[in-house]
Amino acid sequence: MLSADFVIATSVAYVGLLFVLAYFGDRRAKANKRSWLNSPAVYTLSISVYCTSWTFYGAVGNAARSGLEFLTIYLGPTLVFVGWYFVLRRLVRISHLHRITSVADLLSSRFGKSSRLGVLVTCIAVIGIAPYIALQLKAVTSSIQAVAGASEFGRGSLTGIDDVGLALGVAAAMALFTILFGTRHVDAKEQHHGVVAAIAFEAVVKLAALVAVGVFVIYLGGGIEGIFSQAAEKGVVFDTSASFDSRWITTLVLSIAAIICLPRQFQVTVVENSNENHLRVAGWAFPAYMMLMSIFIIPIAVYGLTVMPDDANPDMFALTLPLSAGQNALALFAFIGGFSSATSMIILESIALSIMVSNHIMMPLVLKFGAAPQGGDGQGVSSVLLVARRFAIVLILSLGFFYFLFTRDSDALAPIGLISFTAIAQFLPALLAAIFWKDASLKAVTAAISVGFVIWAWSCFLPSLASVSPLVSTLLEEGPWGVLWLRPEAMFGLEGWDPLAHAAFWSLSINVLILTLGSLLTSPSALERIQATAFVDVFRRHGLPQRNFVPGSATANDLYFVAERVLGEKRAAALFEAAARERGVDPALLEPTPAFIGRLERELAGSIGASSAHVMLSKVVAGGDVSLEEMMQMADETQQVIEYSQQLEKTSAELRLTAHKLEEANAQLRELDSQKDEFLSQVSHEVRTPMTSIRSFSEILLEPAGLNEGQRQRFISTIHQESMRLTKLLDEILDLSALERGERTWQNEPVDAEDALNRAVSVCDALLRQRGMRVEFGERAHTTMVEGDADRLCQVFINLISNAVKYNDADQPVVHVSSSVRSGTYVVEVADNGPGIGKTERKLIFEKFWRGVSGAGDQGGAGLGLAISRQIIARMNGVLELVQGPLPGACFRVRLPVVGRES
Amino acid sequence: MTDRRRVVGGMFMLTVLGLVLFVPPVVGLFNRDVTFLGMPQIVFYLFTVWLLLIVGTVALTRHLPPDPVEREEEGEG
Repeated sequence: MLSADFVIATSVAYVGLLFVLAYFGDRRAKANKRSWLNSPAVYTLSISVYCTSWTFYGAVGNAARSGLEFLTIYLGPTLVFVGWYFVLRRLVRISHLHRITSVADLLSSRFGKSSRLGVLVTCIAVIGIAPYIALQLKAVTSSIQAVAGASEFGRGSLTGIDDVGLALGVAAAMALFTILFGTRHVDAKEQHHGVVAAIAFEAVVKLAALVAVGVFVIYLGGGIEGIFSQAAEKGVVFDTSASFDSRWITTLVLSIAAIICLPRQFQVTVVENSNENHLRVAGWAFPAYMMLMSIFIIPIAVYGLTVMPDDANPDMFALTLPLSAGQNALALFAFIGGFSSATSMIILESIALSIMVSNHIMMPLVLKFGAAPQGGDGQGVSSVLLVARRFAIVLILSLGFFYFLFTRDSDALAPIGLISFTAIAQFLPALLAAIFWKDASLKAVTAAISVGFVIWAWSCFLPSLASVSPLVSTLLEEGPWGVLWLRPEAMFGLEGWDPLAHAAFWSLSINVLILTLGSLLTSPSALERIQATAFVDVFRRHGLPQRNFVPGSATANDLYFVAERVLGEKRAAALFEAAARERGVDPALLEPTPAFIGRLERELAGSIGASSAHVMLSKVVAGGDVSLEEMMQMADETQQVIEYSQQLEKTSAELRLTAHKLEEANAQLRELDSQKDEFLSQVSHEVRTPMTSIRSFSEILLEPAGLNEGQRQRFISTIHQESMRLTKLLDEILDLSALERGERTWQNEPVDAEDALNRAVSVCDALLRQRGMRVEFGERAHTTMVEGDADRLCQVFINLISNAVKYNDADQPVVHVSSSVRSGTYVVEVADNGPGIGKTERKLIFEKFWRGVSGAGDQGGAGLGLAISRQIIARMNGVLELVQGPLPGACFRVRLPVVGRES
Repeated sequence: MTDRRRVVGGMFMLTVLGLVLFVPPVVGLFNRDVTFLGMPQIVFYLFTVWLLLIVGTVALTRHLPPDPVEREEEGEG
């Protein structure tokens, strides 16, 4: 048989068991053997801290009173977890990267590390959660009362203690328990492995308890069908006709917001997550857990309504049904299940809230007044934080207790929970904007959350106090100062709505409106922009944004001092040594880089929140935002670099051109060199032939005998001819070198060029006849005077015509000569129908020693004619060039300026 | 990876589908005064959709290649 004392003793023993679990969990985590603690199953079970005693008791009551509505509380989170890939995965990734410790930290970090926003969110969370804590206290109190009331041993040691006293006792015990559990040390990432292990265990207990009660009820009622038919006989109808109204959608939306934004849910789902891939399991396992939890709620509620007396509290059916059937063991199990769901919620919620309070309210105060006591152990800030957290836990539970005290007359559990949900839902628009919308700005978010909170306080929180305060009930009836459209439950004249739907609609829609409009109208600061990009593009970008700081403005010593105060001596030293080892320097000589300061800031943020870490580091590190001057300087440097590279490009292009020219010149030199070698051997050959004949003839002449005078005469004349040839060759060479060196000068005077041409043609006449060739005359100019020397000019023409004759191997060789005066220039063209000159040779024909490649040997020239001719024409200020002629062969053109014209 | 994008698209569709099936007007279609297996039809409907969402998530997650465990260095795959 159950007595109140026995139940309380069991509870205490159960809490003791939890404490042992948490202790060993922490030990294991420290020893780094987190095999089962670090599993997706434990992660999923810890998330089911969502199912509080509201689920255990309140859902049954809710089902009995309002039908299906309780289901929305689980369907909303189901949708969030089915879509885990889109919101939760992103939140987890961001929080891992930025060492986020809470919702307040996430929002303040995203919106420019603003400490004000952190304070606002923390305050709203603490106030908004108070009804939720009260709900748990009420559930535990009611369940103890239910057991005690049914007990034949009477109230035992509870005699003379009313609800309030009991609740106070529970609250105090919870506070003590939470402080022992959650605030033993300040963790780097705010992960509490021991607590998580205990929570997971409690999740198993509460599920098992509810399932046991459910199975028992179904067995008792003769199956599902039996339960419903019995109910129908007794006139109990499970009414679903009006379930799907505005309230259905409201609670669905609120529960979606709650599963993301509730401080304890954020803590277990996001902060305590040690591996992103655990979400893959939680995505289906947590909805399955909730489904198992709710599948028996309708049978329990319907059966309870059928068999229990009319005045029985439907919230307690899960407990009173086994009790009335005499199943004390099952009732005790059910009690422990309900107790589990309440304790797990209170522990985690107050840990999560206390972290927010200490990081966002206490820490900035400590920083501002610089009152961090310096313990000899170097744990100054850590110990301040722990004290702050303990204080916050007491504060949070006291608030919950006071809310319970004010509203203890209301008997239903579920509506109290929904008040908290509506308050917490005010964070959802800001949270979604933080991770999806880069333009969301701090000012807009602050305004939106504040206004949403004010509307919540007015239209949701205040009416819940109507039963204790006549002032509030008048306000509900008449509005403030008789202003009807400000009545809390009929704002702007929206009457006849369900109060919850009314409050949620106004607060959330105005919240979203202000957030959107405000963000479009305001412009964010530089730090906000940086953080916005880092958060929204978390899957797109690699690495983290780096802070700008003035190099040399902070020494490693300053930074170490800060780190030691927050992290403690050991961890700070480990951090700095690791950094020094990476850079390969002695820790004493470590130069802080932006990357290192960024890392340090994140480590600090893991302990004291992003904004406090930012403030702390900003005190020792100069810099921060990029100044205009820095921007100008950067732009200037960029400009300089661009100019420099352009100059380099230009220089290198010039160099390329020069190199190309040099290459060409080199090729030409090589060509000439080989030509020269060829010529030298040619000349030697040419010289050798006459020399040989001269020598042999002279040897013959030196022989006294056997020569008559005729022979002697012929030999002597041959020797003479050969000597003449030699002389001529040497003359040509001398002539050319003299011309080139400018030694041989003549007086340029007006001469008749036509006359010189005619003379040349007639000189060549003999040669032409010998070859059977004729001269074709084209257009002829009349007497034309040019500056020059008549004989030299004639020499040039002879050279050109004789070349045309000599190198012409056509069947019917022709030389075409024409002359004309074009725009003050006398032009002579000598063309032939010979083989022409190859492309490669065109450049070389005017060089010294060049001789036509084909048949050069037969023609006997020294290869100097064209070179000499060109020099002569150049002396007369004219040009000798090779052009495309009227005949297939080569065509040489001489151009000379005309001095006077005689027609 | 097309495969991954397809699976993610499927998850998105499943989430939206779940929402649509849980709110009026669709949910109203099944809210009739009929019993199914001894319980009101609507109760059966809601739990069936719930179960299908869970099964669908299991199936889709199976086909989703896991993220590499190294957290700080990765991009979206």
